[in-house]
Order: sequence, then C-alpha cells, then structure tokens
Amino acid sequence: MRYRTLLKKIASLFLLLLLLAGCASGASPAGGVSPSPAELRGTELFAMDTYMELKGYGASDALLEAAADRIRALEDALSTTREESEISRLNRDGETNVSEETYRILTRSLELCRETGGALDITVYPVVRAWGFTTQSYRVPERGEIAALLETVDYRGIARDDSTRAVSLPESAEIDLGAVTKGYVVDVLRSLFEEAGVHDALFNLGGNVLTMGTKPDGSLWHVGIQDPQGGLLGTVEITDKALITSGGYERYFEDEDGNVYWHIMDPQTGYPADGGLLSVTVMGDEGIRCDALSTALFIMGTEGAEAFWRNHKDFDMLLVTSDGRLLLTPDAAAVFTPDEACPYETAVIEP
Amino acid sequence: MIKTRTWIIILAAAALIAAAGTFFTLRPRGEAKLVEVVQDGTVLREIDLSSVTREYSFEVVWTDGGTNVVTVRPGAICVSAADCPDKVCVHHGWLTDQSAPIVCLPHRLVIRAKGDTSLDTVSQ
Repeated sequence: MRYRTLLKKIASLFLLLLLLAGCASGASPAGGVSPSPAELRGTELFAMDTYMELKGYGASDALLEAAADRIRALEDALSTTREESEISRLNRDGETNVSEETYRILTRSLELCRETGGALDITVYPVVRAWGFTTQSYRVPERGEIAALLETVDYRGIARDDSTRAVSLPESAEIDLGAVTKGYVVDVLRSLFEEAGVHDALFNLGGNVLTMGTKPDGSLWHVGIQDPQGGLLGTVEITDKALITSGGYERYFEDEDGNVYWHIMDPQTGYPADGGLLSVTVMGDEGIRCDALSTALFIMGTEGAEAFWRNHKDFDMLLVTSDGRLLLTPDAAAVFTPDEACPYETAVIEP
Repeated sequence: MIKTRTWIIILAAAALIAAAGTFFTLRPRGEAKLVEVVQDGTVLREIDLSSVTREYSFEVVWTDGGTNVVTVRPGAICVSAADCPDKVCVHHGWLTDQSAPIVCLPHRLVIRAKGDTSLDTVSQ
C-alpha cells in the first residue's frame, strides 16, 4: 500500500513539473487545441529613395508582389528624378494631362498646402534643387539666387481642369510631391491589404508607418520613435493609425564653417526651416495628411505647430524641440512610453 | 521509511533539474542582440552583439565599387565611414537592438536587429 501511494506521489510530481515546463516553453494549455494564427509574412524593397518593409498576418506572396508593383508604378508616375514620369513631364513642359491617380494626389496635395497656409508648398522644388538635395551635390546658394527662385514658389499658381485632368504651372515653376507621396502610398497599401482580406498589417516606408488591426493575441502594434539625436525616444502602442516623422537630422550637410543645412526648406525664406524643432511625429487616420502635416508643422516651428493643432485637434503629434523638450498632445501622451534613456523634459500640450 | 523519503528527495531533485533544464533551453529569449548586415536582400553577416568583446571593423563593397565601413563593438554596431554622397548611414550612429535599421540607399545596405524585438517597427 505504502509503495503504491509513493508511486502516485512521484507520478503526480512529474506531471506537475511537466506542466510547468510546458507552460514555461510557451506551449498551448494542456488539452486545448488553439487555432494557429495566420502567419506574419512580409517583404522589403528599395523604392522612392527609401527602404520599405511591408508585413501582414496572412499576407500571400501574390498580395506582397502586387503591393511592391503598385509602389513601383507610383514611383514611375511621381518621381522627379525619372525623366519620363508624369511629374517630370509637367515640370519640363509646364503643362500636361495626368493620370487619374496622379490628378487625385495632386488635388489632395494642393488642399493640404492650403490647409497648412502654404507651410507645405509643393512648388518649393527649385529651391530644394538649388541646395543640391536632389543630386547630393550640396551647396549654399547665393542670397540673390534664392530670392530669384522664390519668385516661382507659390502653389496657388497651379491651374487644373477637373474634366480633362490638365495641369499647368506658371513660367519656371516646378513641383515635387515627395513630401506627401509616402503618406499616400501607405493609404494605398491599406486599401490593397483590406481588399485581399488582410486586416492586421504594418507598413514602414523609410519611417512613414501605418498600422492596421492588431497582432493575433489582440495586442497593439509597438512603434518606436527615433530620437533625432540618436537612440530611441520611446514607444507608442497603436492600431489603425498612420504615424509619420519628419526631421532635419537624416538628410543634411555641413559647410566648411560647420553650419548644418537640412533638406526641409521653408517656402517663405528659401532656407532650411528653423522653427526650433528637431523632429515632428504626426499620428492620424490618413497617411497623406500625416505626411504633409509632419513637414508643414516642422516648418511652422514649435509655436506654429501648437497653434495649428489647437485649431484642428483631429490628429496627434510629438514635437522634439532644439531646447531639449518633448511636447505631446494629450492623446499622444496617453499611448506613449518614454525610453529609459529619453533625455528630454516631457510636457503635455495644453488643449 | 527513511529509505523511501530519500528516494522521494532524489527523484524530486532529478525531476526539478530536468524541468529547470527544459525551462532554460526552451524559454523565450530576452533582449535580442542579433543583428544582420544585409545588402540588396542577401545576408552578408549575422552578428551577436552580446558576444562581441572588442571593437573591430570590416568593409562592405557594393557592385558599383562603393564602400561602407561597418564598426562593431560590444552591444552596438554602426557604419563608421562610407563613400556615398549623403552619408545618411554614417549620420545614423550606433544601432542598438531597439533602434531603426541603418540604411545606405545608394549601396542597398541594411543593418537591422534580427529575431524577436520588443518593437514591431521604428519611425524616424
């Protein structure tokens, strides 16, 4: 009898330990057959002058290929560095008829130029080129040269005809949709994935992020935000949101005296925007608007960006200022966890 | 009686050791320290930053002859020099396991964390 009791004790001890080991190794609960979640599948590509990652739960090879093809087709239509693109043709000839999609992007871009009071201006391209940012042959233009180029900078001079999709530019004006293209692309990718029945996905086009749905366990996407001075600022947990950052810290050059010039040009001055900001992160529903706002708010500067947000409140933002502060809108603060090493004095923007 | 108890203790200890062994071999890894150096989709090197004991550098050459010098030190990796025009890869600085990947577009070079990280992506 005693021997049998002992055997039972040992057997139950083993069973308990096995269960513990099972739990520790992450196996499914004993007896339960949990449905295996759709596999996270993705692709990566170099396009639009950036590195892109697309991934989605249950995304098929066909969907990922279609997405990559769509990105390349948009690049072919919109790129200013491709001589045969629709935008290059418009810039060269001054007027042209564009495709339906290009016309739609252009129309939305002009609405965003207007909404931001011209802080975003798609006609600033000749100035950006004069500084060498389109060719990486960097130089500081003469004041007179900048003043002459600024004569052509005004998005309100662009004429359009909705029925024929004809677009014409004033003499010497040229446009670049680079400040909104990647935001538009994440919107397109969202539609593509939704149509294919993939509702949980994540896109990152060189820092322009869009999240859809959640992970299989229901948890939100964890999106890190880069500290413009290196390392990580912190993390936001989001779903169904675009999150787009603009800053001067990635594309810049230094002159012989050590002065730094970055690629985001103020369309008013023709010089790199200097509104006291190092980076602007915008969160919202529409990718193209978040992309446009991240650039426009960077140009507006700290106070301008705060004022713009108070007037709209239909997006959220994180501002890193050059005097060492991290400013967040209340809803951004609610989903943001600062990194342990985050060096900034954090404050919530008063509504 | 004493004999039986001894056996229980021995068996229980053996079981515990077995369970502990299972736990340590199968438990999910903590911080990911693995990074991979990828050029145009091809993995050139995989480096465990946690096992790096002293700083070293190596050169990566792209098909057009363009080069990036990659420097590795305990816990971190960076592109320390490059002959691309914009130097975005060099400006990126050190990559720890939590940062956005280092990218050199002209040379199609990406240095990124590999495996499970606590972040799904990074906006920069």
